[in-house]
Amino acid sequence: MQKIMVIEDDTAIQEELALLLENEGYTPLVVTNFTDILGQAVLERPDLILLDIGLPGRDGFSLCAALRKAVSAPIIFVTSRDAGVDEVRALSLGGDDYITKPYSVPVLLARIKAVLRRSSGEPEPADTLEAGGLRLSLTKGVVSANGKTAELTRNELQILACLMAHTGQIVSRADLIDALWDNQIYIDDNTLSVNMTRLRGKLAEIGLPDAIKTRRGMGYQL
Amino acid sequence: MTLREFLSDRLGRIALWLVCIALAALFLFAAGTQPGVLALLMLALFLVFVTVQAADFLRQRARLLELEAILEGLDRKYLFAECVPPPKSLYERRLFDLTRRAGRAMAGAVSDAQAQQRKYREYVEQWVHEIKAPITAARLICRDLDGETRRKLTAELAQIEAHIERALFYARAENPEQDCLLRQIDMGKVAAQAIENHRSLLIQSGVQVVTEELDCTVYTDEKWAVFILGQLLQNAARYRGTAPVIILSTKPLGKQTQLIVHDNGIGIPAHELPRVFDRGFTGSNGRNRGGSTGMGLYLCKKLAGFLELGLEIASEEGKGTTVTLTFPTKENLTKL
Repeated sequence: MQKIMVIEDDTAIQEELALLLENEGYTPLVVTNFTDILGQAVLERPDLILLDIGLPGRDGFSLCAALRKAVSAPIIFVTSRDAGVDEVRALSLGGDDYITKPYSVPVLLARIKAVLRRSSGEPEPADTLEAGGLRLSLTKGVVSANGKTAELTRNELQILACLMAHTGQIVSRADLIDALWDNQIYIDDNTLSVNMTRLRGKLAEIGLPDAIKTRRGMGYQL
Repeated sequence: MTLREFLSDRLGRIALWLVCIALAALFLFAAGTQPGVLALLMLALFLVFVTVQAADFLRQRARLLELEAILEGLDRKYLFAECVPPPKSLYERRLFDLTRRAGRAMAGAVSDAQAQQRKYREYVEQWVHEIKAPITAARLICRDLDGETRRKLTAELAQIEAHIERALFYARAENPEQDCLLRQIDMGKVAAQAIENHRSLLIQSGVQVVTEELDCTVYTDEKWAVFILGQLLQNAARYRGTAPVIILSTKPLGKQTQLIVHDNGIGIPAHELPRVFDRGFTGSNGRNRGGSTGMGLYLCKKLAGFLELGLEIASEEGKGTTVTLTFPTKENLTKL
């Protein structure tokens, strides 16, 4: 499990962030004693550091420079300072990313994932998803089953990918729209219905007409 | 100062002189002075008088022009009395002294007011950064709630953030050069960021956002551009019609790039259109729907002015509104 060091002086955020990271399968390491952060970092060897700028005693910029020399972990600045100069300064001091508060949780998690992937040299996530007898190629935008294939549009691809990532679970329409917005597809409820109908049509063509079930009043299920 | 003004100012003096001369002439004539000598004397006196007056006129005019030029060249005009060479005559010197004392009192008051305003601005900025910590915590806590409540609360938090953001940019707009960073940025990134910032409002409003041809770059400040676009998106979502659609697209205009934000909302009445960028103007739409501050577009205009962005709005009631942002080319930017 990857260790993430949280350097943040707001206790409510400390707690919630630790909980969030734990739920996402990381080991959070919350700094509560701000006098010797450097020593703690060297001792614990985290895989990633989330660093606030406004800290008691020492500001995040100088801390970042010091951490850079002491440990190899990537550093993500998480701060409420959103002036452009702060961001430039943070990145030039060796920060790997810069997120401004208040952040949305999915954005924070996505950035953490991206930085960790970059630093550990892990390959990009798998290109194909498999579930319920379907095989979906994300880069080619092609779904196949029973030896037959169908090409999907960008919207259909993202809808299917979202359902396949949550196989067996009910995904509500609102969650689906949310997931699509994450991928810069900004659709409304009606467009979702249209895309869903088309997607089902294509799945029917390759012999799986009932792959996506409608759970009335709740959402969809693969 | 014209000659006429000068003469009318000295009317009393000239009249007194004429009367004195006339009396003197009468007296000399009665005493038996020859008319020829008298005429010569009068001419000589007249010439002396005119020469003195003319010299006075020229000197005063030159001095006034000089003072005028000094005032013109001053950045802070209330420091005028400090920058002027002291006059020679006693009376003028005393007058200048008085003006200078008044000016000093004024300069003190002005610098006090400026210091106070700066402190206020600093406090607002600091406050904004502090309030973001509890909002961040609230967002994280929201995650534990079930779907519908979470969505509603997240939307409310987003509203709070939007208000705070406006306050921050209002404070910043006073001294824009302090955190404006003009550089080459990606239009698609600006659009994605602005949409992301207001996603709860846009999703809750059931808006479909269409982005077209945004893969180009412009020279501007990214945060400010995101803020301006965010205000436009909020307006489009707030004043939406049925089946709302917002279309973001770009179009080249010569060497410049235009970003066009089009919606199919309720539109703005033609007679209100010229005033939408006025501070505090809410219009009939704002009054009917409530929740309008009249600050969004005012701030957009103000920030756009500093970024040298063209900002135009066109609208038809019941059909929709189109806002066009014209980004300057790198060569045209004077502040880069």
